[in-house]
Amino acid sequence: MVEKKQLNRHVYWNPYFGGFVLGLLIILTFYLTGRGLGASGALKSGVVTVVHTVAPTHAENNVYYSKFIKEGESPMNNWLVFEAIGVLLGAFLSGAFTGRLKLKVQHSPKITSRRRLVFALIGGVLFGIGAQVARGCTSGAALSGMAVLSTGGFITMLAIFGTGYAVAYFFRKNWI
Amino acid sequence: MGPLIPNGIIPEDWNYIIAILIGFAFGYILEASGFSSSRKLAGVFYGYDFAVLKVFFTSAVVAVIGLYYMDYLNWVDISQLFVQPTYLWAAIIGGMIMGVGFLAGGFCPGTSLCAVAIGKIDGIVFTLGLTIGIFIFSESFSALEPLFESSNLGNITLVDSLGISPYWIIFIFTIIALVAFYFSDWVRSKVKKVFY
Amino acid sequence: MSKKYKLKRLLVRRYQILAAILFILAAGLVLLPKYKKNEGIAPDQFVKNIISSERYISTDLLADRLVNQDPTVLLIDTRSEQEFNDYALPNAINIPLKDLLNEDFDGYINQDVYDIILYSNENFYADQAWIISSRLGYTNLYVLKGGLNEWFDTIINPKLPDETMPQEAFDLYSFRKAAGMYFGVGMVKSEVKKVTKSKPVKKVVTIKKKKKRVPEGGC
Repeated sequence: MVEKKQLNRHVYWNPYFGGFVLGLLIILTFYLTGRGLGASGALKSGVVTVVHTVAPTHAENNVYYSKFIKEGESPMNNWLVFEAIGVLLGAFLSGAFTGRLKLKVQHSPKITSRRRLVFALIGGVLFGIGAQVARGCTSGAALSGMAVLSTGGFITMLAIFGTGYAVAYFFRKNWI
Repeated sequence: MGPLIPNGIIPEDWNYIIAILIGFAFGYILEASGFSSSRKLAGVFYGYDFAVLKVFFTSAVVAVIGLYYMDYLNWVDISQLFVQPTYLWAAIIGGMIMGVGFLAGGFCPGTSLCAVAIGKIDGIVFTLGLTIGIFIFSESFSALEPLFESSNLGNITLVDSLGISPYWIIFIFTIIALVAFYFSDWVRSKVKKVFY
Repeated sequence: MSKKYKLKRLLVRRYQILAAILFILAAGLVLLPKYKKNEGIAPDQFVKNIISSERYISTDLLADRLVNQDPTVLLIDTRSEQEFNDYALPNAINIPLKDLLNEDFDGYINQDVYDIILYSNENFYADQAWIISSRLGYTNLYVLKGGLNEWFDTIINPKLPDETMPQEAFDLYSFRKAAGMYFGVGMVKSEVKKVTKSKPVKKVVTIKKKKKRVPEGGC
């Protein structure tokens, strides 16, 4: 019995199947709401809300925050925030069904978990800055942008993956 | 006809409920395809696991073909769909920064939410890093503003930039995707196997 | 070959079959004949609407509705601005024919709350405005039959019927006279003051523009 559970743990969907279903989901999203998916927008709304609650005057004076602060309405009242909540629930359910719920740090056996966490933090900071500059991340700009043949989406995607390949050599110790 | 909510066929109030449901399906698909695992995501850059490339290209091709067929059958009005504005230099430089961040952290915002949901600590740390990054950007916005706002080319699509009919673009894109799939399998057979 | 072996061979080839399906779909998108999509109502329906004279509303009926202060009436003057300022029906909005498709006025024409009555000096401009708007699929459009000239002939200056006319003609005449008085015609000097006080100010019809909601987006 235990053996069977261990075997199931990292059986994922066929990537082509996953891509197909994801494509159908994007079509459905566009059909229903006219917009694509997104992920970093929800985090941005969260940050704006927190800063606005903690230091309202500073938030209003800052040029960037003030774009997202509307009178009488919390910045969290945003489509992306609700979608992000859905993502958390969906991923949790999928992990629960396949027995992948486990609190751990996933890292290559050649490095320590501490090093992995440090790099995760650095990567997160860089990605956060980059996502704001480019106005989108891989799911929002690249994926949904490619679905409507948007130039910005293609440029962002090429930039991300191109740079990724270019710097992959320097990070190889972390992964391989 | 067309995107339902902007045309008023479904009342506006359903927008957020639909958002949660769509997010639910999105999270489920991402996690079930294995994107909550950072080593799987980084595999596309080292050649031992091309799941990212396959899922990305397949979903983009399926979505674009589906949308254009629906447009042909008059079920959707493509001109009403959201096309993001193109800020040339912001997209390139932002993409470059994101590329480095992707390699360092091994996640992207959508997949990091999946990782948080199943309890991966590096996912949680990555999400924390995202919020710090957003905060840093907002604080130093005045210095970065010219880059951020520069060269707005508007909400253009590839049809406008390249001047080719969209159907040919989709066709060429499909061919590129199929070639990429074949190529990725070939590369994977040549690369040293990595177990994770 | 046995069935099982054939099935196995099919499964091995499944990726090639899927790739072929995708390729055919994309090729189909290129090869399908592209027709121009028509925006608005279908041509045969349009011709039917043109031929029927349902769109005309007589001056008597319009006067009746205005006297009863029917709130669903929206008068649109399709003449030029200068003619509008010279004389216009009460509470009319001026949309010159050349500005008909201007986006600002879209909120007035493209809605189904008010009945829109187009008028001009005769039928000419009003009819043209009617044809353009109803081609785009808008509803609730009417044309004042005879325009302002007819209005003058019937309401402001109704023709006294001969003695040989039936009673209805006399009723119509007295109705027209009364309507004319409502619109401020032929008042005795002493009553002019009362009339001018109650003359309705050219009301600004604030119609909420049914703007086509642009979808938001972004990451």
